[in-house]
Amino acid sequence: MTRTYISRHPLEDLLPLEPGIRAVDHLDIPRAMAIAAVMAMDGEEAAVAAGLAASGDVQVRFTGPGEWLILSQSETPEELHRNLSLLLAETAYIVDQSDGRIVFRLSGPNVRRILAKGIASDLHPAVFEIGTSSNVLCGHISVNLARTGENEFELIVMRSFAVALFNDLRVMGREFDLSADFSAQG
Amino acid sequence: MTAYRLASGGLIDRRAPLDFRFDGRNLTGFAGDTLASALLANDQLLVGRSFKYHRPRGIVTAGASEPNALVTIGKGAGSDPNTKATVAELYFGLDARSQNRFPSLKYDFGALNGLLSPFLGAGFYYKTFMWPAAFWEKVYEPIIRKAAGLGRAVLERDPQAYEKCWAHCDLLVIGAGPTGLMAALVAGRAGVRVILADEDFRLGGSLLAETAHIGGVSAPDFAEMALAELRSLPNVTMMPRTTVFGWYDDNVFGAVERVQKHVAAPQEKLPVERLWRIVAKRAILAAGAEERPLVFGGNDRPGVMMAGAMRTYANRFGVAAGKSVAIFTNGSAGYRTAAVLAARGIEVTAIIDSRTDVSDVAPDGVRVIQSACVIDTKGHKRVSGAVVERCGFEQTIACDAIGMSGGWNPAIHLACQRGAKAVWSEELKTFLAPDVGNGFVVAGAAAGRYTLAGCLKDGAEKAAAIAADLGFSAAVQAQPAVDGEADPSFTALWYSPGAKAKAFVDFQNDVHVKDIGLALREGFGHVEHAKRYTTNGMATDQGKLSGINATGLLAAMQGISPADVGTTTFRPFYTPVAFGALAGTARDEQAAPVRKSPLYGWAQRHGAVFVDSGLWFRPAYFAQSGEKDWRESTDREVLNIRENVGLCDVSTLGKIEIFGPDAAEFLNRLYCNPFLKLPVGKARYGLMLREDGMVYDDGTTSRLSPGHFVMTTTTALAGGVMSHMEYCAQVLWPELKARFCSSTDQWAQMAIAGPKARLVVQALVEDDISGAAFPFLAAGIVTLKGGIKARLFRISFSGELAYELAVPAGLGEAVADAIMEEGRAHGICPYGLEALNVLRIEKGHVTHAEFDGRVTPDDAGFGRMVSAQKPDFIGKRLSTRYGLTAADRMQMVGLKPVEPDQHIRAGAHLLREGAKPSTLNDQGYVSSACFSPTLGHGIALAFLKSGRERYGERIVVWDKLAGTEVVAEVSSPVFVDPGNTKLNA
Amino acid sequence: MASLIHCPHCGVRPKEEFSIRGDASLVRPDPEASDEAWNDYVHIRSNPRGRYREHWQHAAGCRRWLVVERDTFTHEVFSVADAASAAREAGR
Ligand SMILES: [Zn+2]
Repeated sequence: MTRTYISRHPLEDLLPLEPGIRAVDHLDIPRAMAIAAVMAMDGEEAAVAAGLAASGDVQVRFTGPGEWLILSQSETPEELHRNLSLLLAETAYIVDQSDGRIVFRLSGPNVRRILAKGIASDLHPAVFEIGTSSNVLCGHISVNLARTGENEFELIVMRSFAVALFNDLRVMGREFDLSADFSAQG
Repeated sequence: MTAYRLASGGLIDRRAPLDFRFDGRNLTGFAGDTLASALLANDQLLVGRSFKYHRPRGIVTAGASEPNALVTIGKGAGSDPNTKATVAELYFGLDARSQNRFPSLKYDFGALNGLLSPFLGAGFYYKTFMWPAAFWEKVYEPIIRKAAGLGRAVLERDPQAYEKCWAHCDLLVIGAGPTGLMAALVAGRAGVRVILADEDFRLGGSLLAETAHIGGVSAPDFAEMALAELRSLPNVTMMPRTTVFGWYDDNVFGAVERVQKHVAAPQEKLPVERLWRIVAKRAILAAGAEERPLVFGGNDRPGVMMAGAMRTYANRFGVAAGKSVAIFTNGSAGYRTAAVLAARGIEVTAIIDSRTDVSDVAPDGVRVIQSACVIDTKGHKRVSGAVVERCGFEQTIACDAIGMSGGWNPAIHLACQRGAKAVWSEELKTFLAPDVGNGFVVAGAAAGRYTLAGCLKDGAEKAAAIAADLGFSAAVQAQPAVDGEADPSFTALWYSPGAKAKAFVDFQNDVHVKDIGLALREGFGHVEHAKRYTTNGMATDQGKLSGINATGLLAAMQGISPADVGTTTFRPFYTPVAFGALAGTARDEQAAPVRKSPLYGWAQRHGAVFVDSGLWFRPAYFAQSGEKDWRESTDREVLNIRENVGLCDVSTLGKIEIFGPDAAEFLNRLYCNPFLKLPVGKARYGLMLREDGMVYDDGTTSRLSPGHFVMTTTTALAGGVMSHMEYCAQVLWPELKARFCSSTDQWAQMAIAGPKARLVVQALVEDDISGAAFPFLAAGIVTLKGGIKARLFRISFSGELAYELAVPAGLGEAVADAIMEEGRAHGICPYGLEALNVLRIEKGHVTHAEFDGRVTPDDAGFGRMVSAQKPDFIGKRLSTRYGLTAADRMQMVGLKPVEPDQHIRAGAHLLREGAKPSTLNDQGYVSSACFSPTLGHGIALAFLKSGRERYGERIVVWDKLAGTEVVAEVSSPVFVDPGNTKLNA
Repeated sequence: MASLIHCPHCGVRPKEEFSIRGDASLVRPDPEASDEAWNDYVHIRSNPRGRYREHWQHAAGCRRWLVVERDTFTHEVFSVADAASAAREAGR
């Protein structure tokens, strides 16, 4: 008997926060995203970094020296894995994390004031520039933080912490009536 | 009526009256009032009873140093004890109560302590209540606790919300008085990222009570102009109602912002207080200076007040502290207050000046008595006169308030919080901040520059220097001229000789001059000893008014300089901070983050009862209707797995992917057993040791390809093992080519265990998993029918035929549902941690209950696993030391009670039969115990001296906590299927 | 202890992101080394007042082990370096 298995998002029962309401400060959560951890082989760090920088379709997040998280909206996890394997053959190890990581996109005029309630890093526009990414502590939870736009940040968290981080962000954003929902595009 | 609201003036909004309550009385103030100014305006000067003697006490200051006017604001769970009325912003409906009085402020039984005062001198706690010891807890302490004390802590849960926040700036300016405003302006204009923080709800500091003119405008107007400009600068952040309470390493400052302490109806979406951690490249301390009180007989009588506070009440709040005021001063500042009061139409009856031949000018018609001191005060709940002594002659001057002015103490606290000692200035007769480097500089009155022009200039210059240092070009414009400048000079007077009543040094802790003398005589003259002995400076005000006077007194009594006495240690917090603010949002559900398995929802749907397991919530058991307790559910689950099949969520086990040409070598050095030759497609149980030879963690590691391994760790040590591996790879063996990362969260992992497990799993998996094709310890990637790639491991914790199936986490619930569906025909049930624990005890499998950090592999029966061939591995060298190989080490055994209905509990000790119950006769201990539904009686795992030689022996299981002794038989720890036939089926 | 640590890989971070293991000057002895050498390595620690080199892990950040040289008395941090680089430089 062939079965079809439906994937479930850990915030399935919690979103939208308030149906139909989208505030200026908003938390947008993609339902599915292809994510892979890339670890450069010894001595190949620069080659891998260059290879990743040249591949236009994916987003590259710095997690540690020689280590990145790669995000793709258009590929399936298998496609991303395959394409990265081709791109980085013999230079990096690739681990699928599409189910192991949950992505939160926070945007709005008060985004820095919201994040300052959990993150110690200076997020001033001149200091934390667009395109910067790094692992940081948000409250008690380690996340990968990236600045993706003028007033847009992305947080990637381990799946088991997704509900806890969501609850934290909700409290952090309460002052600004932060709204939250799954991404429209899927 | 004595204190009253002036007909005009002040920075209050007379069109906005605010009703409030004090001790049940309905009173009215104005917007812009503090609770203290509103109380004074209502002639409510008596605000509390003193700590020890229960003496009536009144408002002394107009700011954060207030020792007396501590009240409880609010009702019930959200009330705030020990709130200083002098800084509490008045709002509509504010409800305040006085403290430390019984039954009322006016009639207080505790005042009897005053009659007992000869017995309540310094050190009385230490002397009086020494003997008998048992009396301390039962008699003395409860009485003292009831009699002494300030506000009462609320026992209910605080319903208010708090939060914490980080902030960053180039320059933090602490204090928004003349110095701070100028500093912020100069730096802000230059483009520096500035934060300007001030504890007051209205920014301006001393300018708000100042009568001088700056550049032709009044001081409050000058402040308003500066603030307006600062507000227009996008790089300047203003933080009113924010007390910077601590200076920490790396120029990180702690501050607390009172977000909604001043509103009648707080908004739910905002916290009441916000704790800030401000990371500042540079900081300027512009906290001003405190006026120094004078120590004279009867100086604690309500109505005796700091002269500067009287000036603040008159100028800023439009309140007169009394109808006829006497001023006692040792410097020019007293004359300044007299002038302000006189100008406001308040009668000044006399200026008593301790100095001789002074040129200060008193207001018209005010009598000046030079070379004189106040030695006592008249009145009870309110001062009615000052007894003045001059050249041996006494006179009583009628007055209803006394303003005292004893010089200046710069507010240097923050600059001294990281260990540097305050420095005595002989010229200024006060302590100044030490040089703590260019990260944090002190400016204005806080640096001993007391004149208004000096403050403006110092703030501007220091900010400009900092801006230039940070690479900004700052222009210091010409400072505006100050018209009506005050003279801050004074002659130090540590105490007023000839006191006829108690002359208080520390009002809040009731320490008077004689207490300080007693401390000195009894050998506690060191300033830190005197503090502890007398409790001077140990109250909630931390000696803001009393500290320097205590130093001056200790110096004067010994005939030495205050420089040689020094100050007590300055520590955070500058003013008390609520625990709620320090906790922020980290309370209740958010005290620690909850980790949820991808199968959490599945378990919930099957009636799981969850238990905390580190940060995880894991199913303890799955209650079915009709089952009355966890044992009944657990027993059913265990029996079903032994007979049929069960499904358990093991997603929480740590999973680490290890890659690289040296991955096998890396594992070989990490584990005590060999891993180099582990074949692809196989799992192996591995034991990790600590370097001292004890077991650290265990788990299975599988080889998926020559250069790719997957390790599992225990749930508890998943983080620790990862960190340990990173240490080994980066610090110990950086030459090994191995990379790894956690994939714990990527996989939903399910154990399917029981004789029918293969039937269930095979129904879902395309690959052949027959005993021959997929034997015990096989591991590999399989395809689920439907095309999902999964990982399958034939490993068993229960001792049954078992598989662990890992699928991408998002599919976890769907796959678990499919397993349950396929298993229904085979009697499948979900099982939780309790059943898992029983199953593994029955099988003699170990967990961290056994591996508690004192157990070697051999102790647990794994001695033969430890490789003798490997040249090195973590823990190898110390495994061979004498103590770890001794013959009488405690070894793991099984125990079963001789009487089958008796219970053994983990933690119990083992004794030889007939031995006296004592740890001296200890033979070992029980590590795990349970009821075995399979065997129908209790069983246990235990560590017993030379245990493996003692199978069949009877020993006593002594549980002192439960008060039981149970005779048990020693056996092999494997109770079920010792031949592993089920495992290998 | 410092409030902020400058991770060579991630920049300035609060101390809460780090975990501390202890003395970084210890060198794991050869498996054949003397009992005394191993006893020193596993059990003996100094508790100096002043300059001290410690292993810190940027646990909530890049996960790298670092060598933090700091003053236990003044809390001044003199340097922070990657531990693997330091180990390689030391010839390990
Ligand atoms: Zn880092």
